[in-house]
Amino acid sequence: MKKVEAIIKPFKLDDVKESLSALGVRGLTVTEVKGFGRQRGHREVYRGAEYQVDFVSKIKIEVVLEDELVSDAVHVIQEKAKTGQIGDGKIFIMPVENAIRIRTGETGKDAI
Amino acid sequence: MISLFSTGEVSETFQETCTEIMDYYFRRSVQESDTGQRLFRDKKPFALVALGGFGRRDLCIHSDIDVLILFESKVPSSAKKLAEDFFYPLWNLGLDLGHAIRGIKDCLSLASENLEALTALMDARFICGDSPLYLALMEKLEKKTLPKKRLTLSRWLEEQNQTRMTVFGDASCLLEPNLKEGIGGLRDYHHLLWLAKAFFHLRTPKDLETSGLLSHKEYADLENHLKFIHLVRNHLHRESARKNDRLTFDHQETIAQALAFKDQDGLLAVEQFLGQIHASMASIKSLRHSFVFTHFPGSRKNGTGPAASESLSAPFHMDQGEIHFPSATAILRDPLLLLDIFVEGVNAGRPLSLESKRLVREFLYLVDEPFRLSERAARGFLSVLNAPNALEALDQMLETGFLCAFIPEFEPIQDRVQFDHYHLFPVGRHLLQTVRHLKALHQERDILLADIFLDLPDPEPLFVAALFHDIGKTGKDHAAKGAALVRKILKRFGYDRKKMEDVCFLVHRHLLLAETASRRDLNDEKIVVQCAGTAGTMERLKMLYLLSWADGKATGPRAWNDWIANLVLELFFKILHILERGELATPDASRRMKQSMQQVRSRIGDRLSPAAREALFDGMPANYMIETAPLTIARHLRLYETLREARAKGLESAFCLEGEAEPSSGTYEVTFLARDRAGLFSDVAGVMALNNINILSARIYTWRDGTAVDIFTVTPPLDPIHTEEIWERIKKNLAETFEGRLPLSERLQQKAEPSLLSRRKTLRRQTQVIVDNSSSDFFTLIEVFADDRIGLLYKITHTLFTLKIDIRVAKIATKGDQVADVFYVVDLEGQKAMEQAKEEEIRDVLLRELSTY
Repeated sequence: MKKVEAIIKPFKLDDVKESLSALGVRGLTVTEVKGFGRQRGHREVYRGAEYQVDFVSKIKIEVVLEDELVSDAVHVIQEKAKTGQIGDGKIFIMPVENAIRIRTGETGKDAI
Repeated sequence: MISLFSTGEVSETFQETCTEIMDYYFRRSVQESDTGQRLFRDKKPFALVALGGFGRRDLCIHSDIDVLILFESKVPSSAKKLAEDFFYPLWNLGLDLGHAIRGIKDCLSLASENLEALTALMDARFICGDSPLYLALMEKLEKKTLPKKRLTLSRWLEEQNQTRMTVFGDASCLLEPNLKEGIGGLRDYHHLLWLAKAFFHLRTPKDLETSGLLSHKEYADLENHLKFIHLVRNHLHRESARKNDRLTFDHQETIAQALAFKDQDGLLAVEQFLGQIHASMASIKSLRHSFVFTHFPGSRKNGTGPAASESLSAPFHMDQGEIHFPSATAILRDPLLLLDIFVEGVNAGRPLSLESKRLVREFLYLVDEPFRLSERAARGFLSVLNAPNALEALDQMLETGFLCAFIPEFEPIQDRVQFDHYHLFPVGRHLLQTVRHLKALHQERDILLADIFLDLPDPEPLFVAALFHDIGKTGKDHAAKGAALVRKILKRFGYDRKKMEDVCFLVHRHLLLAETASRRDLNDEKIVVQCAGTAGTMERLKMLYLLSWADGKATGPRAWNDWIANLVLELFFKILHILERGELATPDASRRMKQSMQQVRSRIGDRLSPAAREALFDGMPANYMIETAPLTIARHLRLYETLREARAKGLESAFCLEGEAEPSSGTYEVTFLARDRAGLFSDVAGVMALNNINILSARIYTWRDGTAVDIFTVTPPLDPIHTEEIWERIKKNLAETFEGRLPLSERLQQKAEPSLLSRRKTLRRQTQVIVDNSSSDFFTLIEVFADDRIGLLYKITHTLFTLKIDIRVAKIATKGDQVADVFYVVDLEGQKAMEQAKEEEIRDVLLRELSTY
């Protein structure tokens, strides 16, 4: 079991979500996040006064998957979230020890 | 009883009936209780007294039932048994019962200490038992306790209102209102009643009218509104099967159905239902306000200053800090006073009196077409809107119905509710909230917003647009519809033409920034340029930004938060920069782009489906569209088709190349299309150099779908008779290069050597390289000035390629023997080269490579 976490551009969310469900992914978590990558914060100057713009608004999606699905999922995220422009985001993959469905107590594969 | 209610047999009279049943139960219990009868025989009489809501005959399905067993003085020991007789059966039924057993003195001292107990006692009603006891209690309460306590009480109620405002909010404009505790809820009516009882010795609610505290109409309205809210509350209690006063979304639809609301005129039943709730609650709220204001002037925060009365201009006068009409007949003589009084209100910073509002309501019929067309009215209305404290006046205009009478376009939207989790307020209230946020801008924590606001030469169009931006919300595409409506309104006002255009623009485009920021790629220059073209001027952009902010904030926390604000701000700055630089987004540029597209459309006919064609247009960079003739764009589209077919066959490295003589200048124009990749431009430049073709100028563009379009102006091939063969050879060389079969760098090196030997000594000027990171939000600009020589362009572009830099746009120009090249570049990840070190590396490497060559 793996957790795939992707930071993407907000306007790409629908595309990514749709293609993930087409792939058979049954649930995912979406968060509105702010942060920075190589762009860092930058200063905007408005009429001589400086305004620090620290973060960029992005969408984070998190999904826990069976191992077999991971490479396909990563592939569609990359394909759908790509614009070729700056700030397309990143994908992180990490191992998940276990998952438990709270209502039924099912664990592992059955719980995701 | 509840089942009777559900079937609709008992609905409006439910509270009455319920109270009667409970009264009946208690009377029977007293008769049947042995303990009770014994107490009477022992000359220890008692009375059963209903308190609170039970006292007011306001029992809803799951209301608490508060009962007091009242004794003369000492409570006998058998009273406990008595209470058990009365209350146990009710507890067993699962009713919420509050009970107390006290003597008269205890009741009064408790009421003196605890204001909540006092108000409960004020609502006391005799049920059965010994009535002299009850009368004695009430007399003492009225003669002794209340005179001492009523000022404290009125202050306490005022505090309670503030607490309610913070905890439950203004129910008359919340989409999940609390029917009891929210402002405008039943509590407002209770407060009014308690104040009337404490200060004017009222006994029953009906006395509000008979004593002249409220007019007949006001009391009748109040009764109707209360009836409606009680009915809704009963339904709510039944639906949630418990005492619940917050009308949450999940119950609204079912209750709307139960109350026989039907979908009509594009309004959902539930939206009409909420609209009516809000109207009722707003009316109760306003009645309490004016009641308190009229009869308890001391309870206001800012007392009346004597000077204020003098500053009032004729014909109005001030009484107890409120503005009054001179007389009703004065309004009949000059109906415009109906508007003037609001102007006076904002000027003096004072509210209208209850009586004045009543007169405004009564005389609304005088607001007719000539009234609306009068210049004085328009001027007065705008001066209200421009005033810093406009909001109070607008509120009063909305509340009295004046706003809808004066601007009939407001009527259909004012109570309109959108049944979703996104919009917090009905439209009318939302519009006023938007104005409120803008009025508070100068004290906004975010100094940038305040700065932008202060920068506006004239904020009036912004306020007007804020008040009307959703006026088209009666159907689809509300922004465009609103712009048309607002134009109609402002024409009636005789409004300044230029400002009217600004307002119409703002209303029409009020969603532009928020929608673009959340749905489009802000790193795509074309999108930002399009927005800039729509905005047109910096002033409009600034107003649009402030309107987006105020609109978002007035919608609710789901529509506006830091995250979305951050995106909108990013977009705002990018558009601002484009507008500051001009060129791409001037009105002229936008017009030319539109015209050009129109011509291309007619040229290419139906070779492409309209959808595919528009998608391609959308993906063409703005500078490409401005700098390229429509005829040429049409030709590019044809080449694009060929390329697409080739690629469909799996030829990934397919390309198109066409050379065409330009007889007028004696040069050739070469068009090259291919799938863009890093190093492509350098390969093309290299192959040209290899074939002795000197590039005089070049423009290269990348469409959004990754198609590179390069246009070169070149010297004619050395052999002018066999040009076709030369183009064929170039194509062959290109194919070889793309397939990796032609070592371009080496071949050019060999080619350069002989010329090196034979080269005349010429004066060489210093090569200059400028790396500019600040001029564009999307690209790093690299400018190169150097002496022209064969293969120079290849050298520069190849060096950039080895530096892992991707050229997106280039402008190559040759003047005499000097070249001035500008490259718009990003790194291989599409990123501007931001770091200082990278900038320096680019400059150093380019200078080194060019000097050794």
